Amino acid sequence: MNKALFLISLQHELAMAIGNKLDLKAMLKIFLKVCFNRLDLTSAHIYVYCDQSGMPSKSLPLKGTSYQHFLSIPKNKRGQSWSKSSILTNFARQLNNTQKSISFQCDNGQYLFGFIIPEYGLLTFETHYALADEVQKALQPILQKLATSCYTSIVHDSLVKEVHSRQLIEEKVAFQAQHDGLTRLFNRQHINHLLSNAIEDAHINNKMGSVLFIDLNRFKPINDAMGHTVGDKILLTLAHRLHSLSSEDIDIGRFGGDQFIILLKNIKEDYQETINLLIAQINQLLTAPFVIDTNSYKLTCSIGYALFPLQSSTVNNLIKFADIAMYEAKRAKTQRGKQYQRVMSEKIKRRLAYVDDMKQGLEQGDFELYYQAQYNHYGDIIGAEALLRWQHPVHGKESPAVYIPIAEESDLILAIGQWVLEQACRDIKKLEQLSLPDSFNKIAINISAKQLIQHDFQEIVLNAVKKNDIPAKRLALELTENLLVENIEDSIKLIASLKENSIDCAIDDFGTGYSSLTYLKRIPASVLKIDRSFVTNIAKSSESAAIASMIISLGKTLNMDILAEGVETKEELNCLKELGCFHFQGFYFSGPLPFDEFAKLITNN
Amino acid sequence: MATELFIWHTLSDALSDFKSGLSLAQNSGAESLLVLTCSQNNYPEEELNALFHACPLKLFGGIYPMLTLKGDLIKQGALIVGFKETFDVTLFSQLNQVTHESCLEELITSTLQEKNNFCGQDDFLMFYDALISNIEGFIDCLFEHLDHGINIAGGGAGNLDFIQRHCIFTNSGVHSDAILLVALPTTLNTSVAHGWETFDEPFLVSEAQGQTVQSLNYQPAYEVYCQTIENATAYKFNNTDFFDIAKNFPLGIKDINNNIIVRDPILAKNNHLQCFGNIPINSMVYLLEGNIDSLVASTEKAAVSLLSKLNKTTIATTMVFDCISRALFMEDEFEKELNVIAEHCHSGALFGVLSLGEIANSQSGAIRLLNKSIVISSW
Repeated sequence: MNKALFLISLQHELAMAIGNKLDLKAMLKIFLKVCFNRLDLTSAHIYVYCDQSGMPSKSLPLKGTSYQHFLSIPKNKRGQSWSKSSILTNFARQLNNTQKSISFQCDNGQYLFGFIIPEYGLLTFETHYALADEVQKALQPILQKLATSCYTSIVHDSLVKEVHSRQLIEEKVAFQAQHDGLTRLFNRQHINHLLSNAIEDAHINNKMGSVLFIDLNRFKPINDAMGHTVGDKILLTLAHRLHSLSSEDIDIGRFGGDQFIILLKNIKEDYQETINLLIAQINQLLTAPFVIDTNSYKLTCSIGYALFPLQSSTVNNLIKFADIAMYEAKRAKTQRGKQYQRVMSEKIKRRLAYVDDMKQGLEQGDFELYYQAQYNHYGDIIGAEALLRWQHPVHGKESPAVYIPIAEESDLILAIGQWVLEQACRDIKKLEQLSLPDSFNKIAINISAKQLIQHDFQEIVLNAVKKNDIPAKRLALELTENLLVENIEDSIKLIASLKENSIDCAIDDFGTGYSSLTYLKRIPASVLKIDRSFVTNIAKSSESAAIASMIISLGKTLNMDILAEGVETKEELNCLKELGCFHFQGFYFSGPLPFDEFAKLITNN
Repeated sequence: MATELFIWHTLSDALSDFKSGLSLAQNSGAESLLVLTCSQNNYPEEELNALFHACPLKLFGGIYPMLTLKGDLIKQGALIVGFKETFDVTLFSQLNQVTHESCLEELITSTLQEKNNFCGQDDFLMFYDALISNIEGFIDCLFEHLDHGINIAGGGAGNLDFIQRHCIFTNSGVHSDAILLVALPTTLNTSVAHGWETFDEPFLVSEAQGQTVQSLNYQPAYEVYCQTIENATAYKFNNTDFFDIAKNFPLGIKDINNNIIVRDPILAKNNHLQCFGNIPINSMVYLLEGNIDSLVASTEKAAVSLLSKLNKTTIATTMVFDCISRALFMEDEFEKELNVIAEHCHSGALFGVLSLGEIANSQSGAIRLLNKSIVISSW
């Protein structure tokens, strides 16, 4: 009677220990602990069937499931996992092969008893006594219940895993929705959202805040010259640096390209001090060079900012204002940042109106090409530079120094450039019909940066030549030194290719840039034009004379012709001649003239 | 050859006497000191802290309700045993703060890592604050994470009033809520006995939580317990203190090899029985009874089985962890139990403590918390 009662109570206790936890390991551990104590075990072990990825699963031999050691009490034996115990491993193998309860007496007198957890694993007990037959049999229904619980736990585990991976995906999606893919800073949408909240908060709590717009200076040339991979690495490094500024009151975001936004919240009445400090910190972050793949890059930035709710309470306006202020800072070449002022918007409005005027002027034929003749030291005209003139309907004659930079900021410069090219070709055609002196070579036109980076620029030039049926050698292009350096590799290719098509290039304003001599050597230009700043008063300034002399020697070394711009006096001319420069352009000879007058000048020369 | 080379005791509860004994011990040439004191002494804790701090020798032990020396019971006083080896001592403290199983695992595994898994150390004495709430969780976890079997004997320290006080000694002072493991330099042999026998059919533990049995056979545990005793004996619970009757009728969990693990019901509250050790839910428990003769006889059997197998040429140190409730049960005849051990212990020191819970290995090697039992250990 007592034996029967014992077996029933044993079954009851073990059965009740199953399924108390959902996690497979925790569930089996509780069961194993009860077995351990109730059956007075020396050690207890569970092996479970696992799929090919090592995850516990139902035994499916055809699908490659195999049993693996899963749990033991005690955890290890003499510093080693039980899975390394050869006696136990062999016993488990035998148990798995036979798929029925087995036992074994070890050399040390201990016993091993093995049971099958149907379809889910193996259970092994080590005892110091022989487990009675009836006890072993009493375990069978328990093992069936354990198998069911294993199934439940595995399903639960996989659900937990699925929920977890779903959670991770959701977190990732949420992160991606708010963060920039490259820099992992907040993206534009999220910064807009944060700004909107900050504006509301500022209103409710009577606080102030600021939007700072940051744009890297001269980042584009690096991106163009070194490739986007390097550019991206720089942006990433900068993002990390900027991120160090983030705090409860400072959010950092990437607006796009090389533009970043900092949202500064909860600032007090001494806001100017706070903003100045933040700008100083931003500049400080840029002082260390950006070292990418052994190359070192030095960058600066321009910063504009607007205040809320002081200057606006709408997200779009605040960002627009900070952007406008940033452009003002860039124009002013200041690193101290600029606060948005209403006059900046008015200036932009005026500028836009001016661009409209230019467009109209272009359509209505208000633009005109003037030609300033170029001479050799014998006084023969050897060519001319085409110069753009615009008769503004209200302001009268406008200076190119005013409208060219404005046109360059918009795409209008392309239309203007195209007009200049075609008009120059038309004028060359007209000149061709006159009897030109033998000394006359070519008409040079100025090319802007935006024209140069057009992928089909060469085609455009050659088409104009072809369309007007003029000899290509009559046309020359003038490119500034700085323009060439910004796109050096492409420029070298383009100039060489144009040269092959008989169109020469001149390097304009030479001496004002910082071009490397290594590059200069590779540029296949035909003419170096000494900038007027070195020509004016050259007779009286030894410094200018020295620079001009150096440029002249350089040109000779590189086999380029040298032409001095802005020659206005006889002294300047003589000085240049003495230095070895024999081609000139300037008021001493002739000012820019309308085409007809120029044509007369040339035929009379 | 005996491992101890100094033994000193006092029956006085004066701190000055204890100080003299400690001073003698420090000058005895010993390297380690086992210090045991009676809770009744009420030594000022700060003074003990200062003394232990200042002790240049490795010091361990605790405060127990009573001590034993050979066949004598020491109700007040102290006992100091000096050993010629430096014993390795490991203290686990603030255990009541380690409530979650994973935290306990972390505490034990990190300590085991520090101690290189007690590599080469297979024999331990364990002194612990008897009022740690999860002592069984600790020993289970220790066994689970130790990568080798150990021989262990130990007993719960403290006071019979069941108020938690500082009661574990180390060189850093007197600790409460702590467990002290002392690695022995030689092999520890133990023998365990209780002498309690079943007297009724078993009950199913239908509801239990740790040390509290809420229901037996789906009836309130206290009612079932009282009714069974009242039906079979002349005891009546109505007008008697619960423990006065309960000390005669502990509960017992029988394992597969018919070994009984005794659980002492010490308190009745809300119709539940509060025991001095866990009772697993869904297990079967028996009501146990005993008498002085059966208890003493089982002790004698344990003493013979342990001491007779010791090498006759070895002079072993023998320490007894005897449950205080056995002394309360046997009252004036308790020294009979001590005498039967002393009779069979012919050489070496024989001393011990009356403990609140005992620790020993089961036959399988696992570490168990015992109640109302005696653990005789020799090394």
